[in-house]
Amino acid sequence: MSESSFNSVPGDDQFVHSAGGQLAKLAVYAMAGLALVIYLLSVLAGEAGSTTSGNAIDFENNAITIALREEPPQLDANRATDASSNVVLAHVMEGLLGYDIDAQLVPGVAERYEIREDGATFWLREDALWSDGVPVTARDFVFSWKRVLDPETASQYAFILYPIKNAEAINRGEMPVATLGVRAASDRILEVDFERPTPYFDKLVAYLTYFPVREDFYNSTNGRYGADADMLLYNGAYVLTDWVHGSTMRWVKNDKYWNRENKGFLDEIRTAYITQDINAKLNLFKDGQIVDTHLLSPMLPTAMEQRWQIDRSMDGSVFYLEFNHRDDRITRNKNFRRALQLAQDPNELVYKVLKEPSYLPGVSLFPAWLSGVSESFQKEYPPVQHQMNVEKAREHLELARQELGIEEFPPLMMLAGDTPIGLLSAEYYQQLFRKHLGLEFRIDVQIFKQRLEKMRQGEFDVVLSGWGPDYNDVLTYGDLFSSWNLQNRGRYSSQDMDALIRIAQSELDPQKRMDAFGEIQHLLYEDVVILPMYERGFSFVVDPRLKDFRRRSVGPEVDYNYAYIEQSSE
Amino acid sequence: MSDLTAASFAPLSDQQPSQVIARPSLSYWQDAWNRLRANRRALMSLYIVIGLLLFTVFGPVVWPVDPAMQDIDQISQPPGTDRTAVLVAEYEPWFGTSGLPGTGLRLAEKATSQAVRLQWDALDGASGHRVYRNLFPVGPELSYGIPMAEFLNNDTLYFEDRLDLQPGRFYYVVVALDERGLITDRYQSISVDVERVTTRAEALERGLITESDAVQIGDKITLTWHPLGTDYLGRDLLARLMAGARVSLFIGIGAPFLFVLFGVVYGSAAGFMGGRVDQLMMRFADFVVALPFLLFMILFKIAFGIGPGESGVFPMLVALVVLLWPATARLVRGQILQIREQGYISASQLLGASTPYLIMRHMIPNTLGVVLVTVTFAIPSAIFTEAFLSFIGMGVAPPTPSWGSMSNEGIKTMLTTPHELIFPALFISFTVLAFNLLGDGLRDALDARMRNVE
Repeated sequence: MSESSFNSVPGDDQFVHSAGGQLAKLAVYAMAGLALVIYLLSVLAGEAGSTTSGNAIDFENNAITIALREEPPQLDANRATDASSNVVLAHVMEGLLGYDIDAQLVPGVAERYEIREDGATFWLREDALWSDGVPVTARDFVFSWKRVLDPETASQYAFILYPIKNAEAINRGEMPVATLGVRAASDRILEVDFERPTPYFDKLVAYLTYFPVREDFYNSTNGRYGADADMLLYNGAYVLTDWVHGSTMRWVKNDKYWNRENKGFLDEIRTAYITQDINAKLNLFKDGQIVDTHLLSPMLPTAMEQRWQIDRSMDGSVFYLEFNHRDDRITRNKNFRRALQLAQDPNELVYKVLKEPSYLPGVSLFPAWLSGVSESFQKEYPPVQHQMNVEKAREHLELARQELGIEEFPPLMMLAGDTPIGLLSAEYYQQLFRKHLGLEFRIDVQIFKQRLEKMRQGEFDVVLSGWGPDYNDVLTYGDLFSSWNLQNRGRYSSQDMDALIRIAQSELDPQKRMDAFGEIQHLLYEDVVILPMYERGFSFVVDPRLKDFRRRSVGPEVDYNYAYIEQSSE
Repeated sequence: MSDLTAASFAPLSDQQPSQVIARPSLSYWQDAWNRLRANRRALMSLYIVIGLLLFTVFGPVVWPVDPAMQDIDQISQPPGTDRTAVLVAEYEPWFGTSGLPGTGLRLAEKATSQAVRLQWDALDGASGHRVYRNLFPVGPELSYGIPMAEFLNNDTLYFEDRLDLQPGRFYYVVVALDERGLITDRYQSISVDVERVTTRAEALERGLITESDAVQIGDKITLTWHPLGTDYLGRDLLARLMAGARVSLFIGIGAPFLFVLFGVVYGSAAGFMGGRVDQLMMRFADFVVALPFLLFMILFKIAFGIGPGESGVFPMLVALVVLLWPATARLVRGQILQIREQGYISASQLLGASTPYLIMRHMIPNTLGVVLVTVTFAIPSAIFTEAFLSFIGMGVAPPTPSWGSMSNEGIKTMLTTPHELIFPALFISFTVLAFNLLGDGLRDALDARMRNVE
């Protein structure tokens, strides 16, 4: 049989060849043309970025444009829990006390205050006004706080008001709301009774759950308080004038604000973008559409190439592996937890795997920025120096196996968030524990809300978890692992820990109080309640013409309250 | 007529026929194979597909590297990186060297990938310092680079950098801070060449040296070889591609093969029987088309008892087969309906052909073209479906790789380390292209109607 019998007719072949040749030529031209167009577009795009023709800074109107992480579900300060609501509310509302540009506690609506062992008194300033011109009075705070604790409001942050007398009982529905230990002695004087001594109460009242709400306005909204721009009264440096849901917001300078000399220098802040996509934000910044964005480590070479001024900030939160201490879990065994502790090294995680320059390797539950008695807490109470030791880890694992009376460890569940960093850490730990200890972990990736729900239900063995500060005191972390704290998702429970936390909560002598925290820190390591991973920070860039913009560890993550546009010199 | 003898009527002896007008008798498959062989593109594709199968099945034997192994020293390394490293002592914490000679910003020790140790004298009028690291020298824009650390007083005049140090040149900058802790324009900078190092313990752990090896501090050793580089956790890309091929090809070939097979049987049965049975069967197919794929995928996953963190490859296969067969069934039924009415079928029936013969000899070969086109499109779409499902967390669970999930991870670092995306993407592209071209060639070769075109 010959090959030729399958050949086509010669003429036909030629025709096919020439047609094919033409097609190929056309394809080459098309490809070349396309490449040229793409190149031209990219050149144009590059130029557009460098000429900063965008709207990030509007000199004429003294306005800036920013991006919000997500749309606030609503702006009722009493019920807000998320970071975006916190950012907006920190600009349009003010509590009794606030933070200045250097994150120091300064008077807000309260002119001065006094904290005693059994209570506190706040004297309110006369010129603090609501955006409709009515003065802010002590009654507005009383109404707001009673509302937070009313079980019907179902505020998730009600616990932060528990230092006030009867607050916890009211929130549980065991006592009437009227019995709350807070009253307006006059329009200007607010009296608070404590459940137990609370020396850090001044730091608490700066938190947004404590912001005031005016009763007559609240009643006039028919339950839609905080749902729209006109369903909210403002007393901060800015007021919200437009809120197109799912799209934009406009914050305009509040001309009724008492401290407008020192706060709120911009005429207008526009939140034109709502996006979590960090790459999209980087492109918006590159194109001059927004004034600031934070950067992840893969973007840093680009930022250096663009010759931007990169800045850094700690966001205040600490991330750690939290164990499930419930009775039916293998992780209740201390030797098992010790084995995991000895088999890992947060330095390797941060320096080699995550590669984020603004992260600090985790050493303790209490982050480096917290202050102790007179210096930083970590300096006064140095955390235990952790040394990785695989040999010892294996010994502890063997002990755990004998104590638990099992032949082999079953696969364990590692719960993680769906963020890139969360996934990366989870995959690193999965392989690390497999390599060093022969343990099999399964990674359960969940979105934020679902992860919290699973943590609450206890459906995990180990969870990659974190905690951000609510107020500027060690206790914001210190009471996390008390047996009564609902945020103690692993249900760790120890009498020693509870006793120490009781001291930390009510001791008035700062030295003794910090000593208690020092011991809590030691106990957390000795009992292997958690394995610290890292303290989170951010590398970020901001338009060089915008000055005094801040990223905060306590309060709103981004703070434009003190920001102003530098007028160009020419 | 006169000279006929008895010999003229004797049978001829066996002899070669002088001329025969015939061609070798070819079976259907021989003919198809011949025509496929003549199609060079299809043949190349066939080789690629065979190569892929060999890569998947025998690759792990030739390259027995654990795809989950993390080589933390070589994270996101492109192929062909220099792998020599100098052996150094174990890492010891460092808190500045007192009496270090020299002035200004300077290195306390030789810069290595283990640590870069910097020390400086307080800058004029500084009430603190901030240390930056840059890939470029500080220009007139005063872009200092990445802020690495901040010291709000002049007590600390040293800094140790351990963050992701790769061999190459870095520029370190120390900037003076004012009383409020804000940066000023007073700075000092230094360029540093980092050398790759490793410690004895690390080298032992990674199996680069053995206990008995007499290597000294300062000796050069070679790190593990990764022919295609490593991914974002230092895992060997070649091993992951092989492991990923197993998942991707299992789904990509297994699912289309099964659902097309089922579709052909179902469709030809419906088409051949016709009438009420046909109506009933096709309405059932319509019903299956209306089922939402993703929902069923989730249901199957739960029905199979696949918990979080476990790979759901098998339910994915089942979901694909159960839900995607109607398309093929419809096509085949249409073809069969058409062919059934053709004259040669009637002729064949008149000549006494049995039903199985009709189906095997006439119907199936005549529908093969359509079927192969379906398979051709089904394979790449199944590979993409697998990638998509792995992306949304319904497919493979880490550390099991698949080409789709590898691409998904690689795209995050596309600009800095493109090889993590390019290799899996290339494999997906080549597989899809090869199957497409092969399908094309097969269609031409197997199509009974094209048999006589010569």
